[in-house]
Amino acid sequence: MSERIYSCFLRLYPASFRQAYGDAAMELFRERLRDERGFWPRLQLWLDLLFDLVLSVPETRRCSRRTLVHGSAQKLCGVPSFYVLEDDPLRPSAILFGGILALAGLSGLSVLIGRTGVYRPLLAGTRSAIASRRLNSFLTVPPLLGSGDDPDQALMGGVPEEPKPRSKPQLVEAVFMVASAKAKLDAAERDRVVEAAATNLKEHYFDRGAAQRMAEALLSHERNGDYNTTTDGPAFADLLTKQIRELSQDLHLMVVWSAEPFPAGPPAPPPGAIERYHEALRQNNCTFEKVEILPHNIGYLKLNSFPDPSVCRSTAVAAMAKLNGADAIIFDLRDNGGGYPDMVSVIAAYLFNRSVAWYDPRNNAAEPTLTQSPVPGSRLADKPVYVLTSAETISGAEQFCYNLKMLKRATLIGETTHGSAHIGTFFRLDDHFGMGIPETKPVNPYGRPDWEGTGVEPDVKVSAADALETAEKLAQSKTPR
Amino acid sequence: MPKRKLDPLPSAAFQILLSLADEDLHGYGIMRKVEGQTNGRMRLGPGTLYSSIQALLANGLIEELIRSKSARGGDERRRFYRITSAGRKLARSEAERMADLLRVARARKILGGEYV
Repeated sequence: MSERIYSCFLRLYPASFRQAYGDAAMELFRERLRDERGFWPRLQLWLDLLFDLVLSVPETRRCSRRTLVHGSAQKLCGVPSFYVLEDDPLRPSAILFGGILALAGLSGLSVLIGRTGVYRPLLAGTRSAIASRRLNSFLTVPPLLGSGDDPDQALMGGVPEEPKPRSKPQLVEAVFMVASAKAKLDAAERDRVVEAAATNLKEHYFDRGAAQRMAEALLSHERNGDYNTTTDGPAFADLLTKQIRELSQDLHLMVVWSAEPFPAGPPAPPPGAIERYHEALRQNNCTFEKVEILPHNIGYLKLNSFPDPSVCRSTAVAAMAKLNGADAIIFDLRDNGGGYPDMVSVIAAYLFNRSVAWYDPRNNAAEPTLTQSPVPGSRLADKPVYVLTSAETISGAEQFCYNLKMLKRATLIGETTHGSAHIGTFFRLDDHFGMGIPETKPVNPYGRPDWEGTGVEPDVKVSAADALETAEKLAQSKTPR
Repeated sequence: MPKRKLDPLPSAAFQILLSLADEDLHGYGIMRKVEGQTNGRMRLGPGTLYSSIQALLANGLIEELIRSKSARGGDERRRFYRITSAGRKLARSEAERMADLLRVARARKILGGEYV
């Protein structure tokens, strides 16, 4: 059997080589087989042969081709093929380790292959996740789903006029969860959705001119039959979103699709959703992932959202107290998807020794938001502040960055942030389609466009991965030795 | 005559020449002798061994002899290899080159031991 296998291996060599040395090679193999008995010697033999094969076959083949071309060049062949196994022989333990590793890899692969049937990474593509996350960025100001006069309308942001349930990311996930099943659209539903979208845009979008252009464009596409080939619900929602954003450059405009029908009236939070959100916050330390003092007495806070202060204020206070003795402070917002403007203000207050105007694009009131500074006992008001940013620094986190940058209170290090600022309101278009429309555009006290659509530019542009190291170096250069 | 100078001589070719310095050997004998003279570090596989032999033959550094298997007797014939004077000369110059390297290494304290 072994000889048969090796004779198959020999076929890999060019015919001229086999003719000249095939028998001799086979003879050598037989002699090694005869002399090297037992499991390990045999294993060693086959490994030798495989290495030999890998090294010498290409070379002999190359020489063989050269011979065909150059004729007499055959005499030169073989010279470069002096590849040998000069290393120490493989130890049994190494072979065993290699075997186990290969087996583990193979098992892992089998498991993965077996799981492909049930693997649905982000449900209907990434659409639902993106839609939910995007919607979350609206939802930083309560109430999430308050009632309005229009039964098809639910507030997604804005100023509460009366106490209402607080927004909850989980709630949004529940409302906008998109099932993996694709929904087939018919022409009637497409027309209905387009017309409802156009009407809502014209009625509610704060820029009337842009609203008119978007509405006309959508209706024009509909009349021209541009949508006739789109029969998939999520794809249609994405297409409409893309078209209205192209015209408005407003990332808070969106059309979403849901497998579950949107309720006809104002939707109520599912029972227990708020409690589950609070519990999740508590279990995750309110997304205060790391609160540490780095070498050179540099405070480091990795914060992955600005959570509901009604639940997390004490966590925030404790975190800031831990950092109070630092000579400089680094806020790591590279994974911060936003949150409650109130929490943004709570943390920012520690960084000032007097109350400062704090721009909040969600605040439509005539009075500007002010920080509650100074915070009694805070020693951070005059310490250097560094904020780490990435393209995943979103919404409330961008508000934190933007204000500190405009107030020249922090050095931003990393990447340009995501670019989500404004509020939006959810409008139901039909059973499965809804859309988010910003109804107001806040006045920016800094007298310039905020970060909507563009993100906040860092002061020091480095990749997000390098941001912490850069910040540490900068902070070290400014802190006392 | 060699068509191409093997300078420096590839390691496997040098080992094969050394193995043939004091006796004629067949392929398996060469493989075992090389293994022995390198303390098991170098085991020439059939492909590498015979492509090296092919090159050494082509360069006139060894020659091929057909003879009976002496140890087992019988009519079975196999190919033995013998080093030529050119091969011996090349092996010697290679050994001297390596000795020079060794002297330098020892002078630079990279390697301990007596000067050779």
